[in-house]
Amino acid sequence: MRIALINGSPKVKDSSSGLLLEDLKIFLSGKCEVAEIAMHSPDVSEEAIEELRNTDAWVFAYPLYVDCMPAHLLSCLVQLEDKHVHDRRTHIYGIVNCGFYEGIQTDPALRVLQNWCVKAGFCWGGGIGVGGGGGLAMMSGPKPDKGPKAPVNKELEELADQILRCRTQENRYVSVAFPRFLYRMAAQMGWRQQIRANGGKAGDLGKAITNDNL
Amino acid sequence: MKLIITDIEEFNFSVEGEHKIIKPQQSIHHCIGCFGCWIKTPGRCVIHDGYEDTGIEMGRCKELILISRCCYGSVSPFVKMVQDRAISYIHPDFVIRKGEMHHKRRYQNVIELSLYLYGENITDAEKETARIIIEGNADNYDGRVKDVRFYQSVEELEGLTL
Repeated sequence: MRIALINGSPKVKDSSSGLLLEDLKIFLSGKCEVAEIAMHSPDVSEEAIEELRNTDAWVFAYPLYVDCMPAHLLSCLVQLEDKHVHDRRTHIYGIVNCGFYEGIQTDPALRVLQNWCVKAGFCWGGGIGVGGGGGLAMMSGPKPDKGPKAPVNKELEELADQILRCRTQENRYVSVAFPRFLYRMAAQMGWRQQIRANGGKAGDLGKAITNDNL
Repeated sequence: MKLIITDIEEFNFSVEGEHKIIKPQQSIHHCIGCFGCWIKTPGRCVIHDGYEDTGIEMGRCKELILISRCCYGSVSPFVKMVQDRAISYIHPDFVIRKGEMHHKRRYQNVIELSLYLYGENITDAEKETARIIIEGNADNYDGRVKDVRFYQSVEELEGLTL
């Protein structure tokens, strides 16, 4: 069995989607072949399409952008539909992460992928929506079943099992095991550190651009 | 002011009152997730391709009207690229709204959102997804949904007065 792990983040490196795929790969390790495919821009290469044709299941990992998937990935899906790369036996899975705490907020982005499966001619396998995605990079620990990322790893392990069995699961939603108020506080401290590192002031984070200061 | 974002290049619809139309005139770059519009040039996208000020335009509008081909329940890639590039409309900090985490306001205007999607064979699932997405947009912009409609083709849309 050969599984395509598709990174649908616009970020070429250091993306939460990439981290989640790396973690999924651990649970798939030794049980199947893996093809890693990057979809960081709005065009799907012919090489990627060829690679995809030789796989049995596709796993898309992407961030939530404006209540949906990022536009570049949407563009890739349109191209894949237009190029008729479909196979009703191929299962499609989704892993969506969002910066909000609640994983359920990724629901519309998974629905769009599911709707695409129907239009493009694939079998929807289900997905997981991960809340607290902005903190995943800071939450890696030596043991997958311990620490704030443990609930996410549990879902990834379950999803890996479903993929290997070519099964379909209901969409599942999870948040990091970290209090929401602390997550919010840490994120907001992060924005302040980043704007200062760029030579700005924390107060400018809320700058409203009007005709007077355009 | 009405802000209209559409993927229809030959946009000849009747629009009442002050308005601005954003349509595919020059090529648009997709959002690269750098958050520069929050932490480098707050309020404005750092990619300079003519679409960097949509967040500012949203801060001035009363109505945001999305007119687009339906892609699996979403707007089309062009309209979505404009939306993705306009997250500077909101503040990076969080608030809890309706029990969920959302972004704080940057501007004080309350936007009324309308969504007009066109396309052959839009399924019921796509319509449901579209409604969920526009409600989500309204929650995140702290605005409200005014209207959602579906059309079979661009021609069918042409009688619409905005």
